[in-house]
Amino acid sequence: MRKKGWFTGMASLILVMGVLAGCSGGGNNGSNGDGSNAGSEASPSAGAPAASGDPVKLTMWGGVPPEAGPQAVVDAWNKEHPDIQVEYVRYVNDDEGNLKLDTAMMTGQDVDLFVNYTSSQATKRVEAGLALDLGTFGDYNIDEKMGPDAKGWQINGKYYGLPTTKSAYFVALNKDALDAAGLPVPKDWTWDELREYAKQLKAGGGYGFIQNLEPFVDPIDSVLTKDGYTKADGTSNLDHPLVKKWLETLNAMMEEDKSTPPLGEQLTSKMPVEQEFLSGKVPMLNIGAWLLRSSNNFTDFPRDFKIAFAPVPRLTDNADEYVARGGIGDYISINAKSKNQAAAWEFLKWYADGGMAPMAAGGRLPASKDADQDAALNSLLGDKADTYDKESMMYVLFDNRTPTFVRSLDQEVVDLRSQEYEKYFLGAQSVDETLAAMVARHNEYLKQTK
Amino acid sequence: MELRKRLTSEAPKKLLVTLIMLLLAIVMIIPFLWMISTSLKTPAQVFEYPIRWIPANPTWEHHVKVWTGPKSFGTYYWNSLKIAVIGMAGATFLSAFAAYGFARIEFKGRNALFMLYLSMMMIPPQVLFVPKFLMFEWAGIYNTHLALILPGLFTIFGVFMLRQFFLSIPNEITESAFIDGAGHFRIFFRLILPLAKPALATLAIIDFSWQWNDYENALVFLIDEELYTVPLGLQNFILENTVDYNGMMAAASAGIMPMIAVFAIGQRYIIQGLTNSAVKG
Amino acid sequence: MTNNWMRRQRLLGYLFIGPSMLGVLLFFLIPAAYSFGLMFTNYKFMSPNVEFVGLDNIIRLLKDEMFYLSLKNTFYFLLAVPVSIVLGFLAAVVLNQKIYLKKLLRGLYFMPYITSGVAVAFVWMLLFHPTQGPINGLLRSIGIDDPPGWLSTTTSSMVAIDIIWIWFMLGYNMIIYLAALQEVSPELLEAAKMDGARPGQILRKIIWPLVSPTTFLLLITGLIMTIKTFGIIQAVTQGGPGNSTTILSLYVYQNAFRYYDMGYASTISWALFILILLITLAQWVGQKRWVHY
Repeated sequence: MRKKGWFTGMASLILVMGVLAGCSGGGNNGSNGDGSNAGSEASPSAGAPAASGDPVKLTMWGGVPPEAGPQAVVDAWNKEHPDIQVEYVRYVNDDEGNLKLDTAMMTGQDVDLFVNYTSSQATKRVEAGLALDLGTFGDYNIDEKMGPDAKGWQINGKYYGLPTTKSAYFVALNKDALDAAGLPVPKDWTWDELREYAKQLKAGGGYGFIQNLEPFVDPIDSVLTKDGYTKADGTSNLDHPLVKKWLETLNAMMEEDKSTPPLGEQLTSKMPVEQEFLSGKVPMLNIGAWLLRSSNNFTDFPRDFKIAFAPVPRLTDNADEYVARGGIGDYISINAKSKNQAAAWEFLKWYADGGMAPMAAGGRLPASKDADQDAALNSLLGDKADTYDKESMMYVLFDNRTPTFVRSLDQEVVDLRSQEYEKYFLGAQSVDETLAAMVARHNEYLKQTK
Repeated sequence: MELRKRLTSEAPKKLLVTLIMLLLAIVMIIPFLWMISTSLKTPAQVFEYPIRWIPANPTWEHHVKVWTGPKSFGTYYWNSLKIAVIGMAGATFLSAFAAYGFARIEFKGRNALFMLYLSMMMIPPQVLFVPKFLMFEWAGIYNTHLALILPGLFTIFGVFMLRQFFLSIPNEITESAFIDGAGHFRIFFRLILPLAKPALATLAIIDFSWQWNDYENALVFLIDEELYTVPLGLQNFILENTVDYNGMMAAASAGIMPMIAVFAIGQRYIIQGLTNSAVKG
Repeated sequence: MTNNWMRRQRLLGYLFIGPSMLGVLLFFLIPAAYSFGLMFTNYKFMSPNVEFVGLDNIIRLLKDEMFYLSLKNTFYFLLAVPVSIVLGFLAAVVLNQKIYLKKLLRGLYFMPYITSGVAVAFVWMLLFHPTQGPINGLLRSIGIDDPPGWLSTTTSSMVAIDIIWIWFMLGYNMIIYLAALQEVSPELLEAAKMDGARPGQILRKIIWPLVSPTTFLLLITGLIMTIKTFGIIQAVTQGGPGNSTTILSLYVYQNAFRYYDMGYASTISWALFILILLITLAQWVGQKRWVHY
């Protein structure tokens, strides 16, 4: 009896010790993998691709769901290249998803290629030594292939990634509603003009204009990218007159015109803006190319009108001063710790020069001048080409020559700004208080990070 | 005679108070009723007012979607169950073990160690998030179930609660056994544990409900969708189906039902345990 | 039965608490020490440069307006605790009388406490929908034309969160009070009634003071538990709109896992610890002065 009691006690104790020991043992492995790549985690195919008969295995991390293009891209590559097999891993492009990618790389897990969606995230990864300077390969002229828009993605004057996608931002328009109201599709317009459109287009109790929250704040970034986030003396420039104009225009649309939903309502109800637009309820939607993912999907979003496209309106009166968000995006980097950098580079070049064509179905057109744009466009429109206004679409996607910018602002500043303008749009503070608060907090941040 | 008189004079008042309390109780559970009702409605019926509690044409399609869709709750359930059951079993046993040490054995430094335990209760989990994240990342168990299971094996509250219970067991019971030559292990397994069954059940149920409902640790330490527990899966479902209010409510029902079942079965233990630990603690 | 055997048995104490102690060491003490150390560094996750920065983080904290704002929000959040205690007390007093269905009622009131906070938070999110939600539907139907925007405005968002939290805590408080009320002697109440005391007087002058140890305990544990929470807020508002529901614990989370600012996040979390410490000290000091036996 007594023996048995002892036995049970000891057994359970040993079990616990074992579990804990196992945990710390694993720790050593993890830390080895972190520092160098010579750890035991190396895959069997770690050697140079030519040296061994086994295929090289690459892992690519991106934020687009596999079924929206990436899987088709990878399958096509794998069929042609039995020696280099690529696996696509999806991470959700939010705080938790980016944290997952970052920890995976910091702990030396297999990440060979990864897609950055913002310049500030790319910069963090470059500073952590996780992205390879692609200039070292020397056989691909990024500026020449991708055009002048690529410059925005340089970090410390170097390309630590390849911007691959034309990322178009636009206002999608319900062409039928515009025609009925006798309004032309604008090719260049200001927020004041958009406000008039919204007023005329709002039917009954509905709204005339609605915004996806991702490009919501772009008008400010457009102004400040051009004129600087800081003034000459190094203090915050967030009280730029055009920032005030943006705040007041939108607020008037929410409060006076009631032509766009109040921000508070949009936030708490998590308003499905794509659906509001595609169902015909709201005739104008500020969004980006990913709208095509939904607008081509007639099963979930049945639609009986034609979609036309207008550039995002500008705050400044002078068209020459305007820069629009967009240009090119999906900045793909090669992990500096990857053991298969050469193979990853081969894949990346192929991807950029047209391999990515299936991504077009989700609204992502290749940026490289060597890619077959017609094929991509066909894949973009599928059998729904008739439901788009071709002319305005071509203008927004290809012909619009407005210079572009890539937002590169620290998340902290993006957040403090949105907290303050939310308070303004919700009526909790005046426009001047808002600007003052933004400037004060931005200055504090600038001091903090100096 | 008097009894009958009392009954007749008190019954209406008793009934009235009952009715009022019942009405308020229904107000308390309205969110649950609304949740279930909405999960059986069509999208157009979600916000109809006045509320139709029993939907006109109840549909099960949202529940079917939650359980069979590409992101089935089956996986989340399995994950939650695994974590909660292992954690519960481990935490209950280890707490009992330690609580016995603190309650019934005198050794050097016992009180100081117990004070240390108690002081750990004051440390907010937020203090521990960052270092635990860095430690787990280093140890390679970040983003694995071990990151939840291992810390889940230890509950300071459990040690505290069971110690209180063990202290309340009269000394005579164990002393005679001790004099008969039984060691602590034997006393613990043969005498104390059987006596403590109700307290152990209470701790097990409470710990299970904590682990099942734990959202914050899962949020910090799990990333992969296949590893998600029910609260995370629920949040994920809601993020990806912002339009689908019916589906959201079907998912919320799925998340809540097991706890309601556990509560219905273990109500006695839960209430007793919470009361004891609070009043005597 | 030698002394030696006795001594060995005594040493077994360490064996009994050993496994648990190991867990406390690994998952509480070491992380806590680690966190304390991080407070004096500028460590940012992923950044290769870590420097000892002395008291910089603490100075930054003391000057950080967001810290004071989230502290203020934390206090607004904490207001839910006394309210849920009073309501729980009243519910317990009524339930303690002779009524039917006692067990069922007790269970119904307690149900919110046992269900997953996050699941229920999402239900509340829809109930509080500013234009279409049933709560505002009800308010409009009884003639309130301009009902609050609940989670959608900066002024009412914390009120909505507090309502959810009161609803969540009420049942627990009630259960504990029900137990405490068992200890109140019926003779005393009977005597008071004989003396002509009205029910309201009995409640305030006799029962409330008698259960004051319970009230005090519920207040302390409730406050501490609430300070540590951020799950329902993260699920429902992520601290918004504006920053009206950013409480301290959420601010820690954001700094750590959104901005990767581990050093500063640790600093804020220790401020949270000090808050809990103060409440615990208040318990020690106040117990004697405030509680009537």
